[in-house]
Amino acid sequence: MRPAGRADWGAYLFALPFLVLFASFVAGPVLYGLALSFTRWELLAHEPPALVGLANFREAFGDPYFWKALQATFRFVAMATPITVGLALVVALGLNALRGRRQSLYRAAYFVPTLITISVAGILWRWFYNSEFGLFNALLAPLGIKAPWLTDTAWAMPSIALMTLWWTLGGPVVVLLAGLQQIPAPYLEAAALDGAGPWQRLRSVTLPLLRPVLLFVMVLNVIGAFQVFGQVYMITRGGPEMTTRTVVQYVYETAFNSYRMGYAAALSWLLFAIIAALSVAQFRLLRER
Amino acid sequence: MTGRSRWKSILVEAAVAAGALLCVAPVALIFITSLKPDAEIVHFRSLWPESPTLASFREILSNPEEIPILRWFGNSVLISSGVTALVLTVTSLAAYAFARLNPPGKRPVFAIVVGAMMVPGQILLVPTYLILNELGWLDTPLALIVPAGASAFGFFLLHQFFLGIPRDLEEAAAIDGCSRLGIFVRVVLPLSRPAMATLAIFTFAGSWNDFLGPLVFLDSVDRYTLPVGLALFQTSYFAEYGLTLAASVLCTLPVLLAFLVFQKHIIEGIALTGLKD
Repeated sequence: MRPAGRADWGAYLFALPFLVLFASFVAGPVLYGLALSFTRWELLAHEPPALVGLANFREAFGDPYFWKALQATFRFVAMATPITVGLALVVALGLNALRGRRQSLYRAAYFVPTLITISVAGILWRWFYNSEFGLFNALLAPLGIKAPWLTDTAWAMPSIALMTLWWTLGGPVVVLLAGLQQIPAPYLEAAALDGAGPWQRLRSVTLPLLRPVLLFVMVLNVIGAFQVFGQVYMITRGGPEMTTRTVVQYVYETAFNSYRMGYAAALSWLLFAIIAALSVAQFRLLRER
Repeated sequence: MTGRSRWKSILVEAAVAAGALLCVAPVALIFITSLKPDAEIVHFRSLWPESPTLASFREILSNPEEIPILRWFGNSVLISSGVTALVLTVTSLAAYAFARLNPPGKRPVFAIVVGAMMVPGQILLVPTYLILNELGWLDTPLALIVPAGASAFGFFLLHQFFLGIPRDLEEAAAIDGCSRLGIFVRVVLPLSRPAMATLAIFTFAGSWNDFLGPLVFLDSVDRYTLPVGLALFQTSYFAEYGLTLAASVLCTLPVLLAFLVFQKHIIEGIALTGLKD
């Protein structure tokens, strides 16, 4: 072992394969994408990319489809994130009150849906939601209800959000439960001795101590929700009337159906800017003061 | 325990159990319903199949020309195993260098790599496609294996784990004249089995379930992975629920079995990344 603090170039022999991959397929593409967003590059036109300055961004601001996709994305995030993180917290608190084998059994059950690949989950929920021979309407038929789960513009996005709640609840539950288990029991015991009821212990001891973990879960959930794609691609293809076409689906279609690489890169950088700004805002709001 | 608090804990457990059931039920439905003939799926009368049959499985496996599902299965196995082997190799070497050796510029490089975990994946889609196009790797397994090796998550997970291993053993091996690579292979890796297993399962499941990557980077039907093959399949066999559900069972089973076997590792791994900073 070399003394600490002495630079050791040989260490890079170990790190090199990973760092080369990281530079080529993460750091490089991020910068490359930024550069692309200032170019016009129609891949099928067999012309080299041309620098166009801010033209792509100007086009995006005047593009009604982009605004519509952005609106759909915000609607999705506003529906899916609070309910997913909120319910995950409730479930984690419930699980934390249980012990031993039963706790791990239930925890595993909540995690199972996250292991289902999106095409399988999509096939399944399309069948659930089908208005004619779907499972949900078959179960609701005795009540005389026939819901337009995916065919009505007002219903489609909530239906996607409900499916997403089922599909993504497990991850936050597991992380929040681990966070709850890290809270030292003496803190809660001391609060109980001081006469704090369960509700007050939750508000004044548990939640403040859980804050860093809750922040981590929320930021990751928001980042994930803004990039919603697979659910929509599999279940509604963006319809009806594009009310569920999200920004990532629009980027996907711009790049791989229309082959407008520069414009697609600009759109994904605009989405990145929104995600980054909201992540910073969450850190500011929720950080320990 | 007083009567009231006992009632309360029974109620809590009942609520937790009901939620757990709602999570598992749709997955169980895939398996149960795949045994129904089409007519029973379309006209839902009862949960259990009235006349259970393996016809859908037989049909889907006996039609490799139209539905190359075994091919897709093989592609998925090849790609997911390749990604797992690559990620374990490169991230463990790099994580060891950053946790134990002293590469110059350690702090900024570490901050950049870990910061990259926050970068939304969608931003990489278009540039990566163009890079793979230049390399001539589109529509080959390389397009999905090589870029996946740059796993900042894997690097971070193993780095945190290596920091927790006591240095004594490595120092003893160094005094015995063991080279650095020798110390890594013979001392550090054997001690890291739990963390390596966690990362392996995560990486394998992530790659097995990846959808956007194969959708964008693969083109020929016989090179598809299972998830993308299934999505294509669903568009052409839309009304044949029995077939799509049987295919879904074949796609879901391996990951579900791996989860049941390695449950503890997987869940501890998730918790670890959420808590250490």
